[in-house]
Amino acid sequence: MVRRRRFVLAALAGVVGCLAALKIMPGTAWAAGRVHRYRMRFLRPPGALAEEDFLGRCIRCGQCAEACPNNCIQYFGLEGGVAAMGTPFIIPRQQACILCMKCGDICPTGALASIPRTVATIIDKVQMGKARVDKHLCLSYQGKTCGVCYRACPLPDISLRVGYLEQPHVLKDCVGCGLCERACIQMPQAIRIIPHLGERSV
Amino acid sequence: MTSHRPKTETHPLSLWRHLNKLRWLTLATVFIMLLCIPAISLYQTYVAAHGYALLSSSQKIFYDGMELLTAPFTDDPTKDLAVIKGNTWSGTFFGLQLSDPLAVVGQIAASLQVYWPFAITALIPIVLTMIFGRFFCGWLCPATFIYELNTNLAAWLHHLGLRSGQHLFDRRLKYLVLVVGLLISALTGAVLVATVYPPAIIGRELYYAIALGGFGSGMVFFMLTLLFDILVARRGFCRYLCPGGALYALLGRYRLFRIQRRVQHCNDCAKCNAICEFGLNPMGDDFGQECNNCTACIAICPTDALAFVVRIRDQPEQGEGHLGARYRKTHGATEQQPVVLR
Repeated sequence: MVRRRRFVLAALAGVVGCLAALKIMPGTAWAAGRVHRYRMRFLRPPGALAEEDFLGRCIRCGQCAEACPNNCIQYFGLEGGVAAMGTPFIIPRQQACILCMKCGDICPTGALASIPRTVATIIDKVQMGKARVDKHLCLSYQGKTCGVCYRACPLPDISLRVGYLEQPHVLKDCVGCGLCERACIQMPQAIRIIPHLGERSV
Repeated sequence: MTSHRPKTETHPLSLWRHLNKLRWLTLATVFIMLLCIPAISLYQTYVAAHGYALLSSSQKIFYDGMELLTAPFTDDPTKDLAVIKGNTWSGTFFGLQLSDPLAVVGQIAASLQVYWPFAITALIPIVLTMIFGRFFCGWLCPATFIYELNTNLAAWLHHLGLRSGQHLFDRRLKYLVLVVGLLISALTGAVLVATVYPPAIIGRELYYAIALGGFGSGMVFFMLTLLFDILVARRGFCRYLCPGGALYALLGRYRLFRIQRRVQHCNDCAKCNAICEFGLNPMGDDFGQECNNCTACIAICPTDALAFVVRIRDQPEQGEGHLGARYRKTHGATEQQPVVLR
């Protein structure tokens, strides 16, 4: 009985001590750097924290995909590394985000921030990534009028505008939902989202 | 040879023995809900977009059945079915957000800060655990549902001549798993305890299987724990390795309600020790913090000698059962033992 109590106390003291040491030590999540070595290009759901904070906050409950009406959220197995296991991601070419913001509302941990569904707040707070046009692939830049990406964009003339021959130009307020990449009729896609996994203003 | 068994049907506390049936009902309900919630979430948006008429008749029955559980609380079809959401790891139950204490502890370890809006969602489970002990393990955990069926499978295999493993380890191993799991979570900055905790895995993987079209890598881990339970130790994962069980056991160490043997009614048959999934010693009143209140010992006791009592400590060394042969030999048996009620 006494031995057991001593064991429990020692274990608790060990945990508290290690946590305190980690708190003092600068650059705490040294191993989290490993997490950034993703080989695949993916987006976090809208309102996600910066990658390191996100991995520490997300408890892998799976409710964001359950809330997603568009079924665009998938989960990592081991392909994203052990640290990312069970965390949500979006492959925009397969199914892109429609910016309904339901995942942020249901997220119990704040790993996905709850963002009101208005144009101003979405532009301000959602930073999933940014679209980039490959002019060598894009039909409109080859002289054939297309404009599919512009028509798919949920924030036309805010995130994406079209010019001569409906050539797309990505503006600075692009939130990276990926609907343009999903809609692109070229194979491979001429417009794609470059994920933003670093610092976020949320 | 005269029988000294008291008449159990007139025993006022014999209702305790039906708790085990109630527990199986609870376990099955939780598991079925974990199957239904992901399935219904596929229809929910469809219905909210006025697609109800397009559902097939069986889908309509399913949807209406699930709506019946939640409709009294909401009218908005987009919010329909939103009152019961998620899984046992973290979810919403009639508007009340609840989380596993391990989720909160793991998150604190991984992010090295307390996010209070999430931390308070574990308050109710923690308080209930401090009152009832490891009740989650025995009554709600979806993995327990599978693990107990797995024990039955091991028993059938035993009938076929295939011996299941009966190794015994140190129960304190799971506290080590908890501590090491939290340390690794802190070092990697990711909530990795979630990937070795069966109820969290089951909640996620059932969603993957139903809505995303296949099991994920967590299911491989869960299958390995099932094999461990059959081949190495009975209920080995819950007994020796589960980090969440360790946390619940620590929280429920001084629980208010616990099972206790009433020595006047015990006949030393030791069926309770044999049935105990966790390998505890109900006949010696040695439950400690490990008991998950599964009530299997109460259900099997032929003399209704086990019951829940309000105590914060076990009462070991009560001695031999008064209906047992050895006690009657030493104390002089009367023709009919008086049944002393508490």
